[in-house]
Amino acid sequence: MNKVWSLLFLAVPVFGVATFVAAPYFNHWLPRDVSEHGRMIDHLFMFILWLTGFVFVGTEVAIFWFMWRYNDRVNREPARFMHGSHSLELVWTILPAAILLFIAIYQMDAWAGSKMRRPDIAPTAEVTGRQFEWRLRYPGPDGVLDTADDIHHVNDLHLPVGEEVLLVVKSEDVLHSFFLPNLRIKQDVVPGMKQYVWFKANETGQFDIVCAELCGWGHYKMKGQVTLESREEFDAWLAQQYEQEQATLEQTTTDEG
Amino acid sequence: MSSIDAGTHAADAHAGEGHHGGGFISTYVFSRDHKIIGIQFLFSTLVWFLVGGLLALGVRWQVAWPWSEMPVVGKMLFSAEGGQISPEFYTMLFTMHATIMIFFVIIPILAGAFGNYLIPLMIGADDMAFPTLNMLSYWFMWPAFAVIGTSFFVEGGGAQAGWTSYPPLSVVQEAAPGSHLPQTLWLIGITFVGVSSMMGSINYMTTIIQMRAPGMTMFRLPMTIWAMFITAILQAFALPVLTAAGFIQLTDRMIGTGFLLPEYLVVNNSDPASGGGQPLLWQHLFWFYSHPAVYIMILPAMGMVSDMISCFARKPLFGYKPMVYSIAGIAGLGFIVWGHHMFVSGMNPALGMTFMVSTMLIALPSAIKVFNWLGTIWGGNLQFTTPMLFALSFVSMFIIGGLSGIFMAATPVDIFIHDTYFIVAHFHYVLFSGTAMAVFGAIYFWFPKMFGRMMNDSWGKVHFFLTFVLLNCVFFPMHILGAVGFPRRLADPYHYATFRELGPLNEFITYCALALVACQAIFVVNFFVSIFFGPKAGRNPWHANGLEWAAPSPPGHGNFDFQPLIYRGPYEYGDPSVDADYYPQTQPPPPGHPETRPEAAPVTY
Amino acid sequence: MSHDEHSAHPGFDYQPALPIPNGKVCVWLFLSTEIMFFAALIGTYIVLRFGALVWPHPSQVHLSEPIGAMNTFILICSSVTVVLALEMSKKNNAAAAKGWILLTLILGSLFVGVKGYEYNAKFSHRIYPAAGPGPIYEKADIYYAAAVRTRLNELQTALQAQAEPSEQQQHRIEVVQSILTNYVEPAEQAAGENGNAVEAEQELEELANAVMPLHHAAHDTQGAEAEVHHAGLNDEHSWLKLPIRIPGGNMWASTYFLLTGFHAIHVIVGLIVFAILLFMRLDATKAGVVENVGLYWHFVDLVWIFLFPLLYLF
Ligand code: HEA
Ligand code: HEA
Ligand code: CUA
Ligand SMILES: [Cu+2]
Repeated sequence: MNKVWSLLFLAVPVFGVATFVAAPYFNHWLPRDVSEHGRMIDHLFMFILWLTGFVFVGTEVAIFWFMWRYNDRVNREPARFMHGSHSLELVWTILPAAILLFIAIYQMDAWAGSKMRRPDIAPTAEVTGRQFEWRLRYPGPDGVLDTADDIHHVNDLHLPVGEEVLLVVKSEDVLHSFFLPNLRIKQDVVPGMKQYVWFKANETGQFDIVCAELCGWGHYKMKGQVTLESREEFDAWLAQQYEQEQATLEQTTTDEG
Repeated sequence: MSSIDAGTHAADAHAGEGHHGGGFISTYVFSRDHKIIGIQFLFSTLVWFLVGGLLALGVRWQVAWPWSEMPVVGKMLFSAEGGQISPEFYTMLFTMHATIMIFFVIIPILAGAFGNYLIPLMIGADDMAFPTLNMLSYWFMWPAFAVIGTSFFVEGGGAQAGWTSYPPLSVVQEAAPGSHLPQTLWLIGITFVGVSSMMGSINYMTTIIQMRAPGMTMFRLPMTIWAMFITAILQAFALPVLTAAGFIQLTDRMIGTGFLLPEYLVVNNSDPASGGGQPLLWQHLFWFYSHPAVYIMILPAMGMVSDMISCFARKPLFGYKPMVYSIAGIAGLGFIVWGHHMFVSGMNPALGMTFMVSTMLIALPSAIKVFNWLGTIWGGNLQFTTPMLFALSFVSMFIIGGLSGIFMAATPVDIFIHDTYFIVAHFHYVLFSGTAMAVFGAIYFWFPKMFGRMMNDSWGKVHFFLTFVLLNCVFFPMHILGAVGFPRRLADPYHYATFRELGPLNEFITYCALALVACQAIFVVNFFVSIFFGPKAGRNPWHANGLEWAAPSPPGHGNFDFQPLIYRGPYEYGDPSVDADYYPQTQPPPPGHPETRPEAAPVTY
Repeated sequence: MSHDEHSAHPGFDYQPALPIPNGKVCVWLFLSTEIMFFAALIGTYIVLRFGALVWPHPSQVHLSEPIGAMNTFILICSSVTVVLALEMSKKNNAAAAKGWILLTLILGSLFVGVKGYEYNAKFSHRIYPAAGPGPIYEKADIYYAAAVRTRLNELQTALQAQAEPSEQQQHRIEVVQSILTNYVEPAEQAAGENGNAVEAEQELEELANAVMPLHHAAHDTQGAEAEVHHAGLNDEHSWLKLPIRIPGGNMWASTYFLLTGFHAIHVIVGLIVFAILLFMRLDATKAGVVENVGLYWHFVDLVWIFLFPLLYLF
């Protein structure tokens, strides 16, 4: 029976590693990264995965081995009567400390790049979360937000690829979180605050905008879509949106008049 | 096992019958005896554990098969919607699941049940320093039970802002159906739990500081007591902040002060908010409490696991003092890492960076603990009793939960995995696979002391095996879900086409969760049958060193039938200078032995 | 806190770490939790205050520093008297101890009384911690003007509903009318379609000032005569109850009432305990109790010593 218990504990690292190895083959893995900075985040994820993986396997196998070797059926010798070891304590304090400090310092640049070094460019669009949709606003022909010629849209974000893009993200009511899985972007939006996200997408395609902060009963359906397209396509799309909006505006004013 | 019984005190003659006069009510209901209060806490929390587990099944049902009719309960609860769970009901389910598991199960079962039961017995006191206060601390749980219980049935049906209750969702009544009365009840309930914990922790601290038996110096205390002591300190310094935050949220909700809402905020056609407040303020106050609280929810478990592991390894605890210091280190650092829950909340990113560093550092004392447990079982004579298996599984599972913490502590990675199932995996590994498993172990371990009878070891092992396997099937795949970016708190994840391919995995998890809850029946039956029909235990069934094992099982009123005098620490297993492989704290050393006499002279008032 | 000693069964010998009774350890621990409670509240205040765009000057919210200072002094005196009570109690002079406790109780009640007076001064100026009675307006803008008009219209309809208005009612109708023509209409006109922005701002400002003038800090230093401002319309006609404008006023009211309110609750709890002490014989055997209560009272005093400069002086 003692062997069974030891093997049960061995199953933890075995299945644990197997799960992580198998997952990518079932396509259950980090979603396709289409951004410039995402590479660094994925790299950090993998780096920590390998590192913690080693610690995980090491410690779990140690548990298994001690169970296998030192259970009272196998180990006929009396238990070692010892209260600890100074040098061992030192080793397993300093070693993890060094590793942890290394991780801490190693990641700082990626964080600063994602959240602190805001590029000095005009925002491409403003995204406002509200229960339960993403309101979008692009500057009109004058290139400035918050003017009369702004272009309004809902849930369907278009952005150019291959260049740095700056977005203003806000909330109108409760907390939401502007999550672009494929661009490795997540930023809670807080009413009363104005936040920025920036990135450089390098592939075209259509991807999800997910709301990742509980915002009420409709949280699950607060879905948007981001279309990454070439600059020309984007400009064309924007121009067309502008036309449409002007047309509807005229429509309504004539209706009223 | 050798068959020597606890040296000097073999007779169990008047064990258990020692409760002094007084009716049933004063003995078992409004009891001031710490043991009865501990057991009251144990039963209440186990019942809530079941409730929390059933709510979890509701959550799992919806995640696996959204909008499909729930079997049996579906028709009863939502006949109007054709037996479906509505999205607001789903939100309520996980909010209340977490609230109950955290505030009604894990915190009170650790501090309330085991803290109460074990502290006086392990330090040699006849009771807590303030028995009446102790009784009140239990009875203050009841208003909380009542209020939170009612909140399910009032209009709106249970709080729906997550257990974190972030404003504005939780403050603006129009924001969610559960943000009307139920959220108010939630806040009141949490305040009562807080007052209860407060009373308890002050009592524990006073008792541990002032009422240790002669010879029981601080560095002869069992790890359980050290952990309870430091947990009490954490409670005392962190909880008042949550209480203050709760009042702030209450006044914002009830009379319209403006602490947490920005100026003129309108949600779902509510009246404009007056203030110029800050929603992030709540998050800071909440996590200032709730991060230390996660250590409140693990340190006592670590303490109890240390005791069990040393006992069943028949070997002294490896590195007693480093173990003590690392608990203190976790507690100290625990106060300066709260911001790691707020990396992407809009908090200043530079602040995020400092919180990242402190969070990395807090892994260090945890590492020391893990390695010392490994050191303890290395070269021992391990006995795989049920409590030992649970204790070992705690170590094994805590490593997983702790290591996933490193991913989230890495700020850039957290950008991606924040609020995904990776987090859900993390905290269930530390909370369920860690603490709850340790609690199961502790129940098997101290059951003989509490009820004077043994639990069935074979069924215990069956329970362990099933729980261990199933919980890993439930929670390990959640890491993978998280890696895909699967967000938490979604009533219908498959609304996103990308997540549809995760359906089968989610179904697998749900099947395992169902089995996990079902197999707890083995434990429940074993528990109740053993109370009445288990074999009699005797004072020291495990041949352990701790002072509590020198008392009768169950101990009578006043705990000890002798004046406890302590000669050594609690981990002197396998000392070659004695015949038995254990050396109880109370056993006097052979005449002429130099070092182990009570250090301080007895003091009485 | 609870002072029950366990007496039912034979106590064991213990090895206490601190040479003080358990009750006192308990009080100290309890007070340390209280420190965290107030630390959270004061932290909230500091965060919100420094996060706010504007923060009203005490005079703008009718907060009188001298009264606050007097209250501080009262509370400090009560801390002294409670020490004297302890001294007397230790000397086994029960009557004198009770006398000092009584004096403490009186001083504490005085403090609460003054607090009540202060609160009343806020309420009478329509400064509430709550949005319920109508919010305090941050700026004199068109919304503010609209709110004033709404209130005036309300009054007007109520008054004109009377078939035969009394002389007093007649007078009120005139007042309402004059406010409408002198302040509200010009402001509305200036802020309307054809007005210009600068003028609108002036007129709106005038309206808000007429309702409740803002006493600027700058005025106060210019000379004492600036202190004799004209009272606002709300002061002159207490039945008007017009909406008021104080920049930062809502946040100020929220934090002021939160901090002083929780402090006042602690004072009141202290007073109740003192009242209970009055029914006991405060001889030397009760010195411990008096000491513990005293510790609590010093703490309450200390909190106020932090609150007073934070709320009144900075
Ligand atoms: C008992 C409860 C418990 C415990 C002990 C922990 C322990 C830790 N937690 Fe966890 N945590 C929670 C409960 C807990 N947590 C809960 C409930 C939440 C979610 C709340 C919510 O949002 O609802 C959460 C969320 C949470 C977050 C926020 C994630 C997010 O929302 O984005 C973070 C981020 O840093 C984090 C980090 C950590 C870290 C670094 C530890 C560390 O203490 C872990 C240290 C342990 C180890 C590292 C393993 C052992 C060590 C070794 C084997 C040595 C070698 C290791 C290395 C060299 C790496 N936790
Ligand atoms: C201690 C804490 C704890 C525990 C034990 C659990 C246990 C479980 N939890 Fe939960 N959970 C949380 C704390 C906990 N959880 C928290 C904090 C959240 C976040 C909520 C939020 O986002 O706001 C969460 C959220 C959460 C989610 C995510 C929901 C979402 O984001 O959409 C899910 C989904 O699968 C889940 C599942 C489970 C399951 C299957 C269990 C199972 O392990 C349950 C198994 C239950 C039992 C095994 C009970 C058995 C009963 C007994 C043994 C008692 C015996 C009785 C007597 C003697 C009378 N939990
Ligand atoms: Cu918006 Cu969730
Ligand atoms: Cu945390």
